Amino acid sequence: MTNSLNKKAVQSKDIKEIPKWTRKYAQNRTLTILVLMAMVMLFGLFVAVLVGFPLALAVIGFRKGNMILGCVGIAVLVAVLVAIVKFMIIFLSKFGGKNRGLIDQLIELRIYGKEGTTSISLPKITKKMRGLDYILGAIGLIYIVEVNHLCMVGYITFKYQQPLMALFFVPAFVFEYFFLQRPKVGHLVLLWPILYAIHAILILAGVPIFFTGNLGILNMPVPLIGYAFLAYMIVHLYSRYALKKLKRITHLEGDTTDGD
Amino acid sequence: MEIDKIIHEPARLRIMMILSGVDEVDFSFLLSTLEMTKGNLSSHMDRLEQAGYVEIFKNFNGKIPHTVYRLTKTGKTALSKYWKSIDEIRKSI
Repeated sequence: MTNSLNKKAVQSKDIKEIPKWTRKYAQNRTLTILVLMAMVMLFGLFVAVLVGFPLALAVIGFRKGNMILGCVGIAVLVAVLVAIVKFMIIFLSKFGGKNRGLIDQLIELRIYGKEGTTSISLPKITKKMRGLDYILGAIGLIYIVEVNHLCMVGYITFKYQQPLMALFFVPAFVFEYFFLQRPKVGHLVLLWPILYAIHAILILAGVPIFFTGNLGILNMPVPLIGYAFLAYMIVHLYSRYALKKLKRITHLEGDTTDGD
Repeated sequence: MEIDKIIHEPARLRIMMILSGVDEVDFSFLLSTLEMTKGNLSSHMDRLEQAGYVEIFKNFNGKIPHTVYRLTKTGKTALSKYWKSIDEIRKSI
């Protein structure tokens, strides 16, 4: 009798943890973001190759005085740019404006279709917060372009490019998280700004974890995307753990499962 | 002390607890997590809806029907009352 009561007590303690693990699972489902990131990266690479090839062809042609090769390069480049613009127009008409977020939904459906969906609403965002978000985005864009420009012209050494980026990205991400994403997204995503900040501190402390010379341009995208990818991968793995835990707790052992 | 029999059924208790952790959950998630048959899950959800504990929203994901569930205020209150009763009974033993 005592054993049975103890077992029941342990069971109900476990059952009381169901909301916690459901929440953790819902907050950390980041596979959609990872897939989106990979898609954007692949698309970026594809565009870079598409544009880079005819551009290189044109430059080589004109440098060597081969006008035909140069003109063919320019013609192909124009055709590629027209095709990219056309693709972007079609893409935005399908997934932009009112349909913003549709592509995320489609990916989510494909990835989590069988597993089903759980969701936590985004926090109520005031107009002031939304405005602040836009202002932050605009400042960020100007800041990124300017830091990159100053690095290119040699006013700032490549060593300080990532720490300077961290000065904007780390507080911006923390702001985004605490005011615009929580509680829809779990605390674990803060791993990204933490890793990014650690990278900046290590550089300032003299650790040579930055690119120089022609590769200097990679100081911006590689740590930014690399740490984001790593953080979201860890978050995704945590969601799998949460789901496993949830399934273990919710498993009905010999209990009746019909609706009567 | 009376125990809410609708919630006390193990499967329904788990469903209510899952729903209390998030804003909404769809049928597929409950099905895969609880490893129940579609028929059983549907009948449990009907019972919970009849009791006013759960709200059901039916829409379409493309051409596929998509059913989403939310815990109502009544459901939240009933669930916290249920745990209060269970804890009191356990203390009194």
